[in-house]
Amino acid sequence: MRRYLRIWWLLTSAASQIAFQSRFGAVIFLIGKILRFGLFLVFIFIITGRTKEIAEYSVWQIVFFFATFNLIDALPMFFLREVYRFRIYIVKGTFDYILAMPISPLFRALLGGSDILDLTILLLALFLVGISFFHIGPIPMENVILYIILICNAMVMALSFHIFVLGMGILTTTVDNAIMLYRDLTQMGRVPIDVYREPFRAIFTFVIPIGIMMTFPAKALMGILSLQFIFISLVTGILLFGVSVWFWRFALKRYASASS
Amino acid sequence: MRKYWLVIKDTWDEILTYRLSFIVWRIRTVFQLLTVYFLWLVLIPQGSQLFGYTQSLMLTYILGTAFLSSVILATRSYEMGENINNGDLSIFLIRPINYFYYWFARDIGDKAMNISFAVIELSILVVILKPPLFFQHDMMILFLTAISITFSIIMHFLFGSLLGMIGFWSPDVWAPRFIFFIIINFFAGMLFPIDILPKAVATFFQFTPFPYLLYFPIKIYLGQLNSSHIYVGILTTILWTILLSVFLKMVWLRGLRFYTAQGH
Repeated sequence: MRRYLRIWWLLTSAASQIAFQSRFGAVIFLIGKILRFGLFLVFIFIITGRTKEIAEYSVWQIVFFFATFNLIDALPMFFLREVYRFRIYIVKGTFDYILAMPISPLFRALLGGSDILDLTILLLALFLVGISFFHIGPIPMENVILYIILICNAMVMALSFHIFVLGMGILTTTVDNAIMLYRDLTQMGRVPIDVYREPFRAIFTFVIPIGIMMTFPAKALMGILSLQFIFISLVTGILLFGVSVWFWRFALKRYASASS
Repeated sequence: MRKYWLVIKDTWDEILTYRLSFIVWRIRTVFQLLTVYFLWLVLIPQGSQLFGYTQSLMLTYILGTAFLSSVILATRSYEMGENINNGDLSIFLIRPINYFYYWFARDIGDKAMNISFAVIELSILVVILKPPLFFQHDMMILFLTAISITFSIIMHFLFGSLLGMIGFWSPDVWAPRFIFFIIINFFAGMLFPIDILPKAVATFFQFTPFPYLLYFPIKIYLGQLNSSHIYVGILTTILWTILLSVFLKMVWLRGLRFYTAQGH
């Protein structure tokens, strides 16, 4: 475990140095990310300034949903950025070199260099979670614990999606489309899933589990998620992870090393 | 003219060659649209008004901007920066072809494909969601909308080209484009109409070119602007188009002096 932590630290340091190689690009990207985060927040406040609520949620509840979405979105973006670079490894044959390393290839493909630029959004999201949490009102401790558990579950689901993308990368040599599709699907969780009408709501909850990932943790904190849905969330998370690891192994066995 | 027609055709064929990427891109745009559509549907129940918009007007605005995005914002000019960065520009400089007409022709090819898909997607969504759409019948308003869209297309191309010109001085051609996309998303009226912003902010943005890319054409179509507003708006768009083209020419000439055909 300590060895893997050390490897992650070394790879992340190297990735950060690369990210800041061009300070102009890094600063512009950073400003862009902060701008996107801030402008959507302003949009929420402008709307709720007039309507007072969205889909029966108060201003701060909507802000909490948005903050939770950003937290769940930014964490995998920060840790799993290497997945975005995986296609190059497959196409150029660099993956052979990774396979020969005395570490898990899945670990290397997932955590081979975190994106330091996403740390800003992660911190902003955490800050906004904190502020909106105190504005929502008194929240029982058990709801906070459930929230943390469901955030972890969302992380497991995000990890599973990224493992699926890696598997697809090995089988089809395409990664970009799948990862961008995942990004856009999760973006639908910027607003609570209750905003969508049926059958879209059911599809975005059970078929493409954006609702489970993005909306359910915040709902659990607000005490409006039934025990049944908490159970469904956890089972979905475990199932997805199991199937994704199986798919990774399946894909790895079919890796042809064609590019090297 | 024939050579530019061939560029349009080539771009169309190129998209068909990498059709999976294009189809995924279109699916992504539908997902982005659904979030905004359902959000406004919840915010403005049938029979009520918000920020001066009825449900019908707002949903027409949202679906209208989704369609206009394919007409106005679909572009290939993002490749210009890389083209300069990797030295491919040299090939264009010795060819009997205008560099900007070439990229504009690429834009038209890309727009044609995007429009074809947008028509299909929006038709399917209209059948499934049955939104209460607003249809404009006034021929004069439709004509003025078309004029506004034409200038918006040119203006967006000029913006795209200017961003591409960064390639002369920096390899970071993507970062400024990322910011530009975020600005467009919020201040061109993709997510919401500009006039829902506080009055002072909305007035400020009327002086920038961004609302004239999407918000202004669709507002003309909805019949929410009086004739003086329309003419002033079209004149402002033309003014921005002239300013941007003069600026682009200056940057292009300076860039050429700086260009070293690095990469070749």
